[in-house]
Amino acid sequence: MDTQKLLLEYITKELAIGRAKEVRPEDDLLAAGILDSLGLMQLVMFLEEKLGVKVPDEDVVIENFQSVDALQAYLERRNGHAA
Amino acid sequence: MNDVIIIGGGPAGSAVGSFLSKAGISNVLLESNNHPRPHVGESMVMSSVRVFDEIGFLGTLESEGFVHKYGASWHEIGGREAAITFSEFPQAGIRQPYTYHVDRSKLDLLMLKHAQNLGTQVIQGVTVKEVLFDGERATGVRVKFADQELELKCRMLVDASGRGTLLGRQLGLKKNDPIFDQFAVHAWFDNVQRGTPDTADYIHVYFLPVERGWAWQIPITESITSMGIVAEKEVFRQFRGRPEDYFTHYVQSNAGLAQAMAEAVRLNDYKTEGDYSYTMSRFIGDGWVLIGDAARFVDPIFSSGVSIALYSAKYASEAIRRAFETGDFSQAAFRPYEEKVRGGVDIWYEFIRLYYKLLPLFTHFIRSKTHRIEVLRLLQGEVYDRSEVPVLGAMRKYIEAVERTNGHLLKQQLASIPIDDLPVPD
Repeated sequence: MDTQKLLLEYITKELAIGRAKEVRPEDDLLAAGILDSLGLMQLVMFLEEKLGVKVPDEDVVIENFQSVDALQAYLERRNGHAA
Repeated sequence: MNDVIIIGGGPAGSAVGSFLSKAGISNVLLESNNHPRPHVGESMVMSSVRVFDEIGFLGTLESEGFVHKYGASWHEIGGREAAITFSEFPQAGIRQPYTYHVDRSKLDLLMLKHAQNLGTQVIQGVTVKEVLFDGERATGVRVKFADQELELKCRMLVDASGRGTLLGRQLGLKKNDPIFDQFAVHAWFDNVQRGTPDTADYIHVYFLPVERGWAWQIPITESITSMGIVAEKEVFRQFRGRPEDYFTHYVQSNAGLAQAMAEAVRLNDYKTEGDYSYTMSRFIGDGWVLIGDAARFVDPIFSSGVSIALYSAKYASEAIRRAFETGDFSQAAFRPYEEKVRGGVDIWYEFIRLYYKLLPLFTHFIRSKTHRIEVLRLLQGEVYDRSEVPVLGAMRKYIEAVERTNGHLLKQQLASIPIDDLPVPD
């Protein structure tokens, strides 16, 4: 499964419950209230534990987490950085 | 001449009386009330079990049917929940996976009786007016009993007077904490929806949308639940309403809490409680020691109060036993006691401060594989004789990263609590 699908599935199933029925890659997760502070921390843990990407504390910023698109771009940068 | 006089018959006083009696040191405990009397602070941490066991009190807790507490659960405002279970981190010397929730009027009475059964001479309805000194050396107390005042002499004095801080006030040792000035409104309720069966007997903490605001849900019996709203005193002041309106208002501010309270029926009057934190500049002197709340009080978010009372009683009784062996009752002889207790409570304090500084971080840490067990250790009250607590360093490091990173998504969640150095007011 590709990263976008994994992210969308996790966010829809785990974080968006009761907040949004459907999540699209370009949706603003923060403005829509899908990612509150606790949800954000859960997502960081998901990235670290399930996708194996270490997210430095400083990277939890709006540019990286605003949407699934933004997250995907961030993960690609991180992977490039790691390689 | 009495060997030891103990001021106060709460858990600290009764525990030190129990330890001393077991060690064969005669002691008199003076209590101003007549138990039972109401008291807030109804939830315990795991480490308390070890001390209850040591004084032979576990059987009473079981036979009296106190509610077993297997864990703790936190509810974020939007409804997300994170729980911990004590059995995940078994502690040496504790043979059960749970601690207790208690009706304090009942617990405190039973502990007092327990001390009495072990040999402590308990006198209730006696108000200690002041501690008597010969120079620096404590020599006894002046008490009021019925309409008479009289002096009682002792070789060793233990102040367990609680938040009344009798000796601390008399000697001007009290330093109010510059950060934590909390205020609680609480009552007992019937018919609270305690949640799913697996966590129904946990303590439940609900975050509230004001700085340092939270609510407790503590089961007292099968049907009675204690509920309390805690926030900075300033939040209550600015509310400008009656305590009951304030209570109801904040119940509605957390979805999980509102749900728990939907059908609840109040059983007694709302009570209000100042919860400000403080410390005494010293816990010891020639012929005297302070224990429990009489020495120091930290914010009650982690149910640490009774545990601190019990451990300071235990360590004080060990120090007193040594003093009777060596004949040395000087302040210097009690220094190891103060260092041990202060070191332990400092860890609680640091944990509390970092917790309030960035609430989402705490729930993140208890979910994280790396930090969960270490946070659990702290929550269970494992704070004594620890030279370092790496998980507190990790929390601090994260908070510092949020503070210095522009646009960090948790920045708005940072509370205005200084974390740079331990504030020590003069």
